[in-house]
Amino acid sequence: MSGPSLAGRDLSAPSGHGDRRFQPSLVDRRRRRARQLLRSLPLFAFAALVLGVDWHAGRFATTENAAQIASQAAPTVVVAVGMTFVMLTGGIDLSVGALMFVGAGLAGHLALSGAPFAAAAAVMVVVGLTGGLVNAVLVTRLGLIPFVATLATLYIGRGVGRWITETRAMNLPEDFLAFGAAAWLGIPAVVWVAALVAVAGQFGLSCTPFGRQLYALGSNADAARKAGVNTRRLTAAVYAVSGACAGLGGLLALSRLGSVSPRFGELYEFEAITAAVLGGASLYGGRGQVLPGTVVGAGLITTIFSALVTLQANPYLYPLITAVVIFAVVLIDTLYTRPSAG
Amino acid sequence: MTSVASALPWPRVGAGGSVAPLCVAAFAAFALTVPGFATGTNIEAVLIAALPLLLLVSGQTFVLVSGGIDLSATAVVGLASVAGGLVMSHDVQPGAGGLPPAAGPVLMVLTGALAGAVNGVCIGALRMPAFMVTLTVGMFSGGLAVLLVRLAADTETLFNLPRAFVALGGTPLAAGLIAGVSALAAEVLLGGTAFGRMLRAVGYNARAARTSGVPVVAVTAAAYVLSGTFAALAAVLLTGSLETASPAHGRTLLLDVIGATVIGGTSLSGGRGQVWGAALGVLFLGMLSNALTLLNVSDFAVTIVKGGLILVAAIVDRAIRPLRA
Amino acid sequence: MTAQSPAVAAPRVRVEAVHKGFAGVPVLRGVSLTLAPASVLGLVGENGAGKSTMMNILGGHLRPDAGSIHVDGAVYRPRGASDARKAGMAFVHQELTLFANLTIAENLHLVRFPRRLGVWIDRTASRRLASEQLSRVGLRRGPDTPVEQLTSGERQLVEIARALTHDARVLILDEPTTSLGALERQRLHDLIRELRHDGLSIVYISHELGDVLRECDRIAVLRDGTVVAEGDAGGFSVRGLVRHMVGREVGQFYPAPRQAAVREPLLRVRGLCRGTRVGPTTLTVGVGEIVGVFGLMGAGRSELARLIFGLDKPSAGVVLLDGRALVGAPPGRIASGLAFVTEDRRLDGLCLEAPIAENLALASLRRLPRSLVGVLTGATIKRAARRIGSAVGLAEHVDLAAPVGRLSGGNQQKVVLGKWLLTRPRMLLLDEPTRGIDVGARAEIYQLLHRLADAGTGLLVLSSDLDELMGISDRILVMRHGELNGEFPSTAFDREQMLRAALPASVA
Repeated sequence: MSGPSLAGRDLSAPSGHGDRRFQPSLVDRRRRRARQLLRSLPLFAFAALVLGVDWHAGRFATTENAAQIASQAAPTVVVAVGMTFVMLTGGIDLSVGALMFVGAGLAGHLALSGAPFAAAAAVMVVVGLTGGLVNAVLVTRLGLIPFVATLATLYIGRGVGRWITETRAMNLPEDFLAFGAAAWLGIPAVVWVAALVAVAGQFGLSCTPFGRQLYALGSNADAARKAGVNTRRLTAAVYAVSGACAGLGGLLALSRLGSVSPRFGELYEFEAITAAVLGGASLYGGRGQVLPGTVVGAGLITTIFSALVTLQANPYLYPLITAVVIFAVVLIDTLYTRPSAG
Repeated sequence: MTSVASALPWPRVGAGGSVAPLCVAAFAAFALTVPGFATGTNIEAVLIAALPLLLLVSGQTFVLVSGGIDLSATAVVGLASVAGGLVMSHDVQPGAGGLPPAAGPVLMVLTGALAGAVNGVCIGALRMPAFMVTLTVGMFSGGLAVLLVRLAADTETLFNLPRAFVALGGTPLAAGLIAGVSALAAEVLLGGTAFGRMLRAVGYNARAARTSGVPVVAVTAAAYVLSGTFAALAAVLLTGSLETASPAHGRTLLLDVIGATVIGGTSLSGGRGQVWGAALGVLFLGMLSNALTLLNVSDFAVTIVKGGLILVAAIVDRAIRPLRA
Repeated sequence: MTAQSPAVAAPRVRVEAVHKGFAGVPVLRGVSLTLAPASVLGLVGENGAGKSTMMNILGGHLRPDAGSIHVDGAVYRPRGASDARKAGMAFVHQELTLFANLTIAENLHLVRFPRRLGVWIDRTASRRLASEQLSRVGLRRGPDTPVEQLTSGERQLVEIARALTHDARVLILDEPTTSLGALERQRLHDLIRELRHDGLSIVYISHELGDVLRECDRIAVLRDGTVVAEGDAGGFSVRGLVRHMVGREVGQFYPAPRQAAVREPLLRVRGLCRGTRVGPTTLTVGVGEIVGVFGLMGAGRSELARLIFGLDKPSAGVVLLDGRALVGAPPGRIASGLAFVTEDRRLDGLCLEAPIAENLALASLRRLPRSLVGVLTGATIKRAARRIGSAVGLAEHVDLAAPVGRLSGGNQQKVVLGKWLLTRPRMLLLDEPTRGIDVGARAEIYQLLHRLADAGTGLLVLSSDLDELMGISDRILVMRHGELNGEFPSTAFDREQMLRAALPASVA
């Protein structure tokens, strides 16, 4: 804030918003309604997809299949919850998949040397949290662009992971798979964990000062700082949360797979970002939620894959269809949320 | 030549000095400590291996200078490679068809330009976020490449490319000419033309550029078309030198692309950057990987070192950059 | 802040001889004010008089160079906005700073939510508290209403409610009514009266002189960084206030008046309008003529200029330059000879991090000479930049390769002018051309504008600084509520009449 501009501000308006007499009109209201409708487009698409595939191929909209899809989606959901927190501040965390890999490698070694499952599980979360704290320092203390900082930690993480695993697949003891296969009240344990994380995440966002301040920070960081919000601590916290979620998500993925391959966790960052964007999160911050948003987004991706399998589609079509779906959602979102042309 | 040279401001690396001393220092250090580094054949190998990356980085610099990012470039390499392979490879075109020999490379370049045009229209005209657009276009291109090659040949790799084409991308002299001339053209375009200056203005402050009569939409879109085209040229080189067309070409290069540009002093927040500096970044990365390989350092350590290098470059850059207004 | 007020009748705030300058340019030159408990002080003054600077000092955003401030008898020296807040200062800024994606209650309690077990938000308590705060400012809206659904008047009330959260003793309202309709304005004034009754001291900054006279107990007029008049509101009239506001002698930095002349029309604007912001506007600028457009904040000056330049699409109307209609985006209009010095240098005018030379060349990249192979060399740019730089009075020693953001405001503005002069414009639009510029550079810019006009360039100068327009224009048009509301040839310049034509209808 420069002095002269303060001094000279008395009479004239900053360009663009010189006249604030403008009131929301009927057009605006109609537009807002159309926007809300389009916001829930992923939900409609979701329902249409499930019913369509069930009608076409049969036995898709069944409870077994739903449980199957849910447990498949569980790791993505957990990672995407953390990603939603980061994206609310306008940042991004590309390192989540690599943190999953590092955690899995260490946990695998521990488990193979006879450590109990709980210890290995705890290690994964701690590794994720530590990686998240490194990102937090890079972004808030050293002032790096989140994209560059987390891209670097992504590669460092993958390198470290390959070093730990000696670039070999590791088959884990039974208790990992036992956890992956466990169920309670007919619902897989991994789904319980994911649901718990999602509920806790949404609770944090909508019911704690931390969460509400995140929305303020993402909407206007400068105004948030002026209003007394500790923006630096908040930004650091979201990367820590994202790291911890990556660790936990890695645990879920590991217990479903039962082994650590050299490509473990790869592309999870994109799945998580996609889930959050499909769920209505903005890349520019200030917009997004875990429930239903991100969870529906993650469910949608997994369901699409599952539907493609059910339909026995050419597996090489998967990335094309996924890309088109994400692209369409981003396009619609842009058309209805961008500021009108100046 | 002097007029061109005067249009090239000396590239600055983070430290406020230039990348060139860094390259010289790295060369000296590796030559002294790494056996087999400073031999003619090894240096030639380093330079040749760096050429596709040089092309990718040249194209990416346009986009970064405009304030965007092109995550699709590495996937476009694979798509262009497959597109070329499909019309040229004897695997799928017995008798090589009646197509003129230039058809393959031309189709490859057009493929890259088309992918870039899609990015450019979405980001420039529709103002969609560059990150998501290029991510999905990359995902689509990569998927399409695999699908096409699978449909045509039921494998991931096409062999038996025409000898003339292999010579084009695989001969050091030809490849060096393609990459060198393209990179020089990119440097002149960015540093020595009205377009380049407009692009920089868009990256610095798109509103001020618009007020000053810069056609912001067209200039932004052109940056992505250029990036796609340069990615396709990289595909020509990779496809020729490896004598195979494959969707996997370029897949692993994203880290190197971002790394070289950041080391070369290109700002990821727009405005600042020269192809010249990025080219030196490519050279530096190339020497580093080569030296690490000669030292038998494992593959994962190379990745860690490169990731750390990006961090260091970004931190140094951040420390010397005047704070944004 | 330990000493207690020695006497009950002591002023709530006592400002003594406060000085403040920016980059050597004095903005406040010994301001002294007193603010009694349970009273409203009206603060009026022209653009650049120092009102906002004074209030930013009170609000803790700026620190004075000299002078002292006491609040309730204790020395008041805040180290920041939160310090000021703790001392009881509540500052409602000109620009709205609410978060549209949060509810009213969330905006009110963002940094001090009532909590349960210290962890999660006690929504019930927050709602109850918010309801109390809202009823205090008279806003009948549920505390859970998202702010994006509020009108700007309602948002203004939320801003005030938020400012009052912190046990405020002093409430500073900076231009609180500019965004409000008549009813909302009435409600705000009722609120001010209630708050005063509750014992609050209020500083009310406004250009709505009628409102100031009606709502304030005392009025202080600031001019050129000093208080030129202070007294009970009853002792002032609109006429008297205006006289005090503009009373300054026109400084010698304005160039000698120009000869009146019959001029060929150059720029003709016919019925140009856009939405509710710019009404149908018709005006003409002759060859070599300087036409001033005077208007206060929100009058639609900048919007009009953007329409003429093609940055916004008009809903109707035409712009003709030399009889030829201008259509489409800026590039074509620039080629036809139109140029636009925008109001906000940092946002619309310059690439602050880019070198000075690049900024100077930016608008004429297409017409600078190329070398044989079509290369536009740095040397060409530098030559052109050097030439135009000296034409606009940029000092010889200025390094053209340095980022333009390092220059002073005056030199930055010279770069903007140079950028446009390099395009050889025949018609120049200038929006607030001397905003935030020191006196020396101002004089130079005025001389330059006159030289341009003498050479046949048409100039349309839009400004909220009446003295400036009177000092340089051949003719002044007054703008109000997006429409032209009066035309004054240089022989009939009359400050009071023009200011009155510009003030909202409620005053005139």
